[in-house]
Amino acid sequence: MALRCSSLPTKVEVATPHHLHYFHTKSYSHRLASLCWRRTLSQDDIFSAAASSLSAPLQPSSSQDRSCIPLRVKCSASTAAAINLAPGTPVRPTSILVVGATGTLGRQVVRRALDEGYDVRCLVRPRPAPADFLRDWGATVVNADLSKPETIPATLVGIHTVIDCATGRPEEPIKTVDWEGKVALIQCAKAMGIQKYVFFSIHNCDKHPEVPLMEIKYCTEKFLEESGLTYIVIRLCGFMQALIGQYAVPILEEKSVWGTDAPTRIAYMDTQDIARLTFIALRNEKINKRLLTFAGPRAWTTQEVITLCERLAGQDANVTTVPVSVLKFTRQLTRFFQWTNDVADRLAFSEVLTSDTVFSVPMTETYNLLGVDQKDIVTLEKYLQDYFTNILKKLKDLKAQSKQTDFYI
Amino acid sequence: MTATAPASPPAFCNNLHYNQKQKPGMISFLSSTSSSALSSSEFLGLFLPSPNSKRSKSRWCVHGQTSLVFPRAEIGKEKKVDEDDKQPSVSITLDDVNPVGLGRRSRQIFDEVWRKFSELGQISRTRTDESLDTVLIREGPMCEFSIPGAQNTTVLVVGTTSRIGRVVVRKLMLRGYNVKALVRKAEQEVLDMLPRSVEIVIGDVGEPSSLKTAVEGCNKIIYCATARSTITGDLNRVDHQGVYNVTKAFQDYNNRLAQLRAGKSSKSKLLLAKFKSAESLKGWEVRKGTYFQDVVAAKYDGGMDAKFEFTETGNAVFSGYVFTRGGYVELSKKLSLPLGRTLDRYDGLVLSFGGNGRSFVLILEAGPSADTTQSKMYFARISTKVGFCRVRVPFSSFRPVKPDDPPLDPFLVHTLTVRFEPRRQKPTEGPMGTKQDLRSFKLILEYIKALPSGQETDFILVSCTGLGIEPSRREQVLKAKKAGEDSLRRSGLGYTIVRPGPLQEEPGGQRALIFDQGNRISQGISCADVADICVKALHDSTARNKSFDVCYEYVAEKGKELYELVAHLPDKANNYLTPALSVLEKNT
Repeated sequence: MALRCSSLPTKVEVATPHHLHYFHTKSYSHRLASLCWRRTLSQDDIFSAAASSLSAPLQPSSSQDRSCIPLRVKCSASTAAAINLAPGTPVRPTSILVVGATGTLGRQVVRRALDEGYDVRCLVRPRPAPADFLRDWGATVVNADLSKPETIPATLVGIHTVIDCATGRPEEPIKTVDWEGKVALIQCAKAMGIQKYVFFSIHNCDKHPEVPLMEIKYCTEKFLEESGLTYIVIRLCGFMQALIGQYAVPILEEKSVWGTDAPTRIAYMDTQDIARLTFIALRNEKINKRLLTFAGPRAWTTQEVITLCERLAGQDANVTTVPVSVLKFTRQLTRFFQWTNDVADRLAFSEVLTSDTVFSVPMTETYNLLGVDQKDIVTLEKYLQDYFTNILKKLKDLKAQSKQTDFYI
Repeated sequence: MTATAPASPPAFCNNLHYNQKQKPGMISFLSSTSSSALSSSEFLGLFLPSPNSKRSKSRWCVHGQTSLVFPRAEIGKEKKVDEDDKQPSVSITLDDVNPVGLGRRSRQIFDEVWRKFSELGQISRTRTDESLDTVLIREGPMCEFSIPGAQNTTVLVVGTTSRIGRVVVRKLMLRGYNVKALVRKAEQEVLDMLPRSVEIVIGDVGEPSSLKTAVEGCNKIIYCATARSTITGDLNRVDHQGVYNVTKAFQDYNNRLAQLRAGKSSKSKLLLAKFKSAESLKGWEVRKGTYFQDVVAAKYDGGMDAKFEFTETGNAVFSGYVFTRGGYVELSKKLSLPLGRTLDRYDGLVLSFGGNGRSFVLILEAGPSADTTQSKMYFARISTKVGFCRVRVPFSSFRPVKPDDPPLDPFLVHTLTVRFEPRRQKPTEGPMGTKQDLRSFKLILEYIKALPSGQETDFILVSCTGLGIEPSRREQVLKAKKAGEDSLRRSGLGYTIVRPGPLQEEPGGQRALIFDQGNRISQGISCADVADICVKALHDSTARNKSFDVCYEYVAEKGKELYELVAHLPDKANNYLTPALSVLEKNT
């Protein structure tokens, strides 16, 4: 494991009007072409740019250190055909493709879409245990991998709208899916005449270029903007569903809960609400090519969430508080080594935590724009209360059951 | 696990047995087959490389054939005991000094700590966990789609490949219903369209025999099949006969089920009278009368006569003539219900008639049966067709003869009368033309049955308003649809008939809906909205026995609005259906 001082992700200003930040790292330098969204679409002819750029920026990345199959001409050939057919074959406006359908938000989006009468296709990575629940609900599942661009075009045939709620898993390198995959997807969408592209981003992603995920999200936003697609970017703050696994379950199981003393506040939102608002936005022609931010009704610190969980669960949590400085230090430390670089990326959010940011926005304007009543948005208190009453009831039932089985043994 | 137990010779075990306590990472066996282990009443400690860090904490006890996994709480306790032990005791086991074991354990601890630690440094992420899924995602209580009782309800969807049917199936699946889908052929193309866990039954609505298995185990039916073409044969097969076949199969199934329980199906009709033999005419008496009690009657007395007889061809015929102005003849019987049955559990009457197409007045007398002087009279006018027909008369359509009387209480009904009067007769269409004398009549009675009442609808039929059908075929289509609707109404099942405007393929929940009765709608509607109405109506008591038109609200151009919009915007969160339907008339 070679020490790579030079691989420190330093901020480098590239001469773009948007003040974009790119990773100027040695290992990633060959991908600079692909990271630069401007270069790929600088040609005048957008169609040819999209078609040709599909293979252009991705080739270096796939030809080098990764075991990706090199991109074939097949991709651009099929896109050319799609362009020719575009005026003659109208796609039904109810046909949508959801990318990242197995995720926390993705599955809610799929469910909402199915209920509203859309024909939903889900782009799912080939895996040994396929996402059965999606097919149980009535969605069509197609296998493709964003990190293998040649698998993408086939999934876009006959699709009107793409909803992109994918984010790479924590254990995989952040750039494979979140940047290269997304670029390929957007270019492909453009080339195949997708009529609307919904992209989920992170709130404040423009303010934290030091966090790789946020940086990538921001670059993707910009890339999408320049692509010429009709798009909607929705920035999100935090999911209530995530709190269950992080705090509620450990508290109920009397395990230790880890929290930070960070003063950061996050306005958590129910993913079911996010999905609902997304579809309202999707159908509103006025929102095309705009950036929306969805935030929950109130911003919470970690400590407040834990206190709330304790109160609702009726038991004290075994809290281990990790000072943010420790997190930050660990990140600094891990950044020095190549083999811990992914770890550093993962800890990058600690930079945000120390910055005393509030992840929230006033929502009144958005509500008005979408015609949504604020009362219909679930609050965290209500959400967690629902969870605890349900789970406590379930535990009681389980206990009664286990007593029964004791009797028979 | 059991397979590895006998592999360890006892001598080897003794060597290992430094400590009575078991450490995490060891798997203990209580082997009932090895007697030495049992006699010493000790566990045999055994090293096993544990493949999973979490797995190693839980222990398996193999006791005879029963394997028992400790519940979570107990594992926690044991872990604590172990930790308590570790501090005071200095006793070292081989396990403790084994560098591989040490390394593994330290790595487990480190991994766990690191996982939690790195979680802190991330934007909130959910670990996808099966146990969480059941509460949050699937049909759990935290899912906004879940409907209580859906898991115990099986719905048969007929016409799953139709535009509405596809969405209906998905919506039902999302809400946790058990769904059966009737398909004609199990082609791969069709199967791919349906959610995987839908139970597929092969059958054809035109083939009554093929429906028997389809309706088995079903609680409710949603019928959204429609003829593929407007050829009369197709229309009849699917829109008319198909509905009849499915209702019949469903009723047969209900009755069979009830017989198993040695009772009557709550959905089956109650036979009040059946005219199939000469004896069945007993108790029915023919009466004559006039509305005018004074001299007027005598003045215009043209004579009248009527008889009720059982003919040689096996029909019970009530026939005669009334030439007297203001005169009438009637056929009446005191009802004798089977023991323990009262008409208040029924919604109305269905009569099977044949004849020459006159209209009649049905009269119910209600009141304490001991004292007939207190009886109150209620009437409803029915019209028949030339030939045989069945007429459905809901109790709600009976009006009191004296306007001050309270509405009909079916519980008190004791006498049923069929009256003929020459007033308000319309000449029937047909070959008889204008020559027919409207003062004479012939009525062949087949049966009179009571229709059961219930809370919820049993059968939802998606019909149509006729809008958007090519004009030349509209009549035929509507005729078939109407015939289908009628056969459903007479089946005794709780029904909901939805007549959507021209269907549009777009997402639902976008525009306000108008619910109306009386063929006044002008707009289209999205398939998804129709599907939503179907699914909502399943458990809505206001939807029972109703037919209604539904379409998008007409949105006037800006500046030309004539009225304020007060329609119902469909959404899962608000129950738009109940208020919309509660104002509509029943039994339509």
